[in-house]
Amino acid sequence: MTSPIDIEGGGTSVVVDGEAGPSAKAETVQLEGRSPGRLMWMRFKRDRTGVISACVVIFFFAIGLLAPLISKLYGKDPYTVYADERPELFDSAGVPVQPNGGISGEFWFGLEPGNGYDVFTKLLFGIRTSLMISLAVTVTVVLTGILLGVAAGYLGGRTDFAIGRVIDFLLAFPAQLFFIASMPVVVSLFVSPRDETPTYVRVLALIIVQWFLGWMSLARILRGTSLALREREFIEAARVSGASSWRIIRKEILPNVVTPLLVQATYLLPSFVTAEAGLSFLGVGIVEPTPDWGQMFSKASTELVMQNDITYMFFPGISMIIFIVAFNLLGDSVRDAFDPKTAR
Amino acid sequence: MSRGGRHTYGALSVLAAGALVLTGCSKGGSDSGGDDKKQQQNAQRQQALIKFGDEKASTGPAAEVPGAKSGGTLEVLQRDSYAHLDPAQIYVADEGALATLLHRGLTGYKATSNDGSKHEVVGDLATDSGTTTDGGKTWKYTLKDGIKFQDGTPITSKDVRHTVERLFAPFINQGPTFLQQWLADSPGATYRKLLKDGPYKGKHLPDSVLSTPDDKTIVFHFKTARPDLPYALAMAGYGIVSQKGDTKERYDKAPVVSGPYKIQSFKSGKSMVLVKNTNWDPKTDPIRHQYIDRFNFSFNQQYEASTKALLADSGADQAGISFNNQVDAGNLSSVLRDAKLKSRTVSGYQSFVGQMNINMSHKPMQDKTVREAIAYALPVTPFVRAYGGTDAMEVAGGLISPTVSGYDAAFDPWGKKKKPAGDAAKARELLKKAGKLNMKLTFGYINTPEGQQYSTAMAAGLKKAGFNVQRQEIPAETFYDQVSKLDNNYDIFHTAWGADWPSASTVIPPLYDGRVIADGAQNYSQINDPQINSEIDRISKITDPAKAASEWEKLDQHIVKDVINVVPTAYYKQTQIAGSKVGGLVYDDVLSGVDPRRLFIK
Amino acid sequence: MLRFLVRRTLGAVVILFLLSMVTFVLFFGVPRDPALLMCGKTCNADAIANIHHVLGLDKSIPEQYLIFLHNLVMGSDSFAQGPCPAPCFGYSYHSNEPVWDTLIDRLPTTVSLTIGSAVFFLVIGIGAGLVAAWRRGTVVDKVATAGAMVISGMQIYFLGPLALALLVYQTHWFDKPAYNDFTANPLTWFSGLLIPWVILSTIFAAQYTRMARSSMIEQLQEDHVRTARAKGMSRRYVFFRYAWRGSLIPIVTIFGIDLGSLLGGAIITEWTFGLPGLGQLSVQSVFFSDLPLLLGVMLFAAAMILLFNIIVDAAYAFIDPRVRLS
Repeated sequence: MTSPIDIEGGGTSVVVDGEAGPSAKAETVQLEGRSPGRLMWMRFKRDRTGVISACVVIFFFAIGLLAPLISKLYGKDPYTVYADERPELFDSAGVPVQPNGGISGEFWFGLEPGNGYDVFTKLLFGIRTSLMISLAVTVTVVLTGILLGVAAGYLGGRTDFAIGRVIDFLLAFPAQLFFIASMPVVVSLFVSPRDETPTYVRVLALIIVQWFLGWMSLARILRGTSLALREREFIEAARVSGASSWRIIRKEILPNVVTPLLVQATYLLPSFVTAEAGLSFLGVGIVEPTPDWGQMFSKASTELVMQNDITYMFFPGISMIIFIVAFNLLGDSVRDAFDPKTAR
Repeated sequence: MSRGGRHTYGALSVLAAGALVLTGCSKGGSDSGGDDKKQQQNAQRQQALIKFGDEKASTGPAAEVPGAKSGGTLEVLQRDSYAHLDPAQIYVADEGALATLLHRGLTGYKATSNDGSKHEVVGDLATDSGTTTDGGKTWKYTLKDGIKFQDGTPITSKDVRHTVERLFAPFINQGPTFLQQWLADSPGATYRKLLKDGPYKGKHLPDSVLSTPDDKTIVFHFKTARPDLPYALAMAGYGIVSQKGDTKERYDKAPVVSGPYKIQSFKSGKSMVLVKNTNWDPKTDPIRHQYIDRFNFSFNQQYEASTKALLADSGADQAGISFNNQVDAGNLSSVLRDAKLKSRTVSGYQSFVGQMNINMSHKPMQDKTVREAIAYALPVTPFVRAYGGTDAMEVAGGLISPTVSGYDAAFDPWGKKKKPAGDAAKARELLKKAGKLNMKLTFGYINTPEGQQYSTAMAAGLKKAGFNVQRQEIPAETFYDQVSKLDNNYDIFHTAWGADWPSASTVIPPLYDGRVIADGAQNYSQINDPQINSEIDRISKITDPAKAASEWEKLDQHIVKDVINVVPTAYYKQTQIAGSKVGGLVYDDVLSGVDPRRLFIK
Repeated sequence: MLRFLVRRTLGAVVILFLLSMVTFVLFFGVPRDPALLMCGKTCNADAIANIHHVLGLDKSIPEQYLIFLHNLVMGSDSFAQGPCPAPCFGYSYHSNEPVWDTLIDRLPTTVSLTIGSAVFFLVIGIGAGLVAAWRRGTVVDKVATAGAMVISGMQIYFLGPLALALLVYQTHWFDKPAYNDFTANPLTWFSGLLIPWVILSTIFAAQYTRMARSSMIEQLQEDHVRTARAKGMSRRYVFFRYAWRGSLIPIVTIFGIDLGSLLGGAIITEWTFGLPGLGQLSVQSVFFSDLPLLLGVMLFAAAMILLFNIIVDAAYAFIDPRVRLS
């Protein structure tokens, strides 16, 4: 978003440094007493695209959360092998006999070629799995980013140098290759290779490997922010008044990095969704029969689907595009709401 | 831009997405038809009996292929590059097919019909398929005159001795082990103790095991009768290796060959060129031809790519073929239904039979009612489906494949041919009767896309019958090592086995003889049944191959129906295609694929 | 400049060294014995021990690591498969080919894929971005921005199979993508890679469109640009002479990063289209527990990333004279 704020008449810039009250440019009326958070919320509410995207995003999280309930009402689950239950609907290679992937009043989104799972419930549960993993990765990454970023920025000196070098090092990792190579290792940390790998272990492993190479960009940004804050007068004042480093970080620095944090987190989450799906697509993430967005893409890329049932690939495909686009638009809106001056 | 503008983008995004959906309509089904009819046609083709040929049958040259012409270049499209060229390391089908052009052995299979269904084991380098006077304990071979390696050095009994002795060297670990085990008279891998370092540190096999009294004679001495030796020696893995030219590990990339073709160049993963070996004399060879001047191999040709190129039939691909690529699953049904392609395609069975093993070392599995319940409940359809449907897989009744003599098409004790999706009701009843409803059943599956697909559906079928199925993934690359460990977790797991030669003696004894149970051995179900063991001993001694075959089939039916340590799932089928200028196209049941030796350019 | 290069190169070498160590440790953390894969049908403890010995896996991990480093720098003649001149990563466990040769062999595929799609996405992406910035607020701008938005929500693993299904499997308009040697036949090289190029660059182009547009617009707000415009220079002149140059920096940064990671192997793209490049090789090395190959591709990919980071930083000095390399 590049338009200067005074053209749009949408309010004033947020002051993130903790100084009292925003210094208004034109409209000085009625602005006292509003916290930056409230201002942000007001600005956000006025942004129609932002609100719509937020609704879409909430919708996705809601269906993920309610997937078991929905599938109960719908009367099917994503684990029933309809190719054996209802063999008349399939040919011997497992392709639905009816056109358009077997879409019917009974199977709203059709049937999956192969074992003939119900695509509708599979997609719901797949979204559930993917969002759960990505949300967990985002949370761990944010926590790590705060910890290391703020530590590097505020403490400076050797800590900064050490963390900076670690970040440089990890940024040089070929991330995808590293994910693929380390997934089996991480899985084996939790189960002996002779036991069944429960789904939660795969989920955990996915979270860990993505976290490991996911926090650096956020930490860098937070380092920059806290580095700048460190030189500010109010921090100086706190220090002079005898506050401990811990207290300064907690009370003075953290509230002021919330803005970049929230903005970055809304950008990070969709990227983790696509990365997780990529791993499952390559076959190193979530595997059949656990429903997962990426695993559906992996199915969609088989010759069986590409040759016989192209309809199938649109369900994971379109739903993911809508989700990612909505989330990215939301990210832009969040950033504009926080800091309307930021150029885009 | 304005805020309203961003809203427009949102709307446009949805429109674009909608446009994508519109293109996504598809028709149903995978274009296959007439499944049942095809199944019957295929089942008619099965292995005829094979006999051991005498000196006359072993004399070259091989009978002309009808209509054959000399000359031309054949383009060979292969998916996998050859990992091994050293005969002693060759076991898999790809390299086995190549080996028919490069390597010769003491014996070999001579086709006695032009359709690839009838064969005879004859002497290849040897003058006959071997002579024994004591029922198979001592076997004598005499080398032919005029046999040479590609460098012109004559092949002598010293080379044969060297070939056998280096099988014991530690770096030889991929090829077959029948001969080594027979010479050492011990199962498993303990044979290596007989000659720990191979011939490379000055030690040799004693005359009591292998004697080479003169340059032309080789005598094998076994402690136990081995009537199948002529079959075993015909394996590509026992092809002749030059003593002078042996470079140990490096021989695997550049062997000294004795067959009609030699390697002009080999770029692993890319290409290979074979040209005529001028030191090969057709008069010494009853098996091979040398019609084609040159073979151009190109690797990394996936099934779809090779099928498409050969279907297109243009340019160099008119004289194109693949020795091992099948018609890909997507094109299979349309290729099979196209009458115009009939002369350019060949179909047949692969030697493999799929089977679900029930681990007899686990206490709960020792209850026969439970095994019966598994046999009834197990759906075979998921397996057939995962590999492309009934054009590629045929529901199996017994353990002896149509490529092995003795096959009985009518045998189907668990009604799999009628109810391939399993009979959950009947199984549930049995489980209830045994009081084992909801018993735990650990299912080890191979972690490939196909394995994931069929194992989940099979598990669902077993669950319906009242089993509490626990699926455990096993990495594909080490699958067979894991399931052949005696102490493994898996109650059931699926394996496939192909006969090493077309006799059930390479199927039933290695898989079901209770006395060969060992870590890494192939008695995966760990069945040790006195009746099976004694029957194996009895049938192994039968010298009449026809009688032996029918006895093996009886034992097969006993195992499947009464012992129930395995449930047969499917016979593997395949279809191959060639360009229009390729002549002599035949599906060879022994090679389980196109016979490269008979090919010529029209 | 020279000092900068030397310093950064040394830093990169240190990082590669550490990465090789991490990869080593990681590999031995995999609960899978590579010897099992090579052992064949009659595998027993002796055979495994022998393979371990041949591969040098019977030595301690630090010792193996030192041998690896030694061979990398000095080369080695002690491999059973043949000689191995420096830089020697050893022989692949799976194919028995020298790892270095394999890397060199796969490189043309990856380079072709990268260069080809880079040309596409730079031209299309930046072009669309500039047009959108030039005609800001018009329908053209909106269509370009909305298109970029939607495309940036797409992934190779959706768009790739979709293109294959529509263009190859359903309509048969194209052959399945394949890599053909450029020197042998430029035409088949081009046609074989066309679909991967278009798909890969479509996804990348969206990012460049958005970036080129926003950084161009940002530049147009800059004081020096406004001043130039106020002085009466034509819009076109200011646009291409002043603003364009300033907007280049973020683009060059992202381009360098993209190029580096693509040259290390576009794993999902190569996997989707079945192209035998470094990305496919790296996945194989993991699946086959092929340590020498894994080390080879890992270090190669990281070296590419680091190399392009250095190039990007050096390039700043040329684009923006204010940047001083330290």
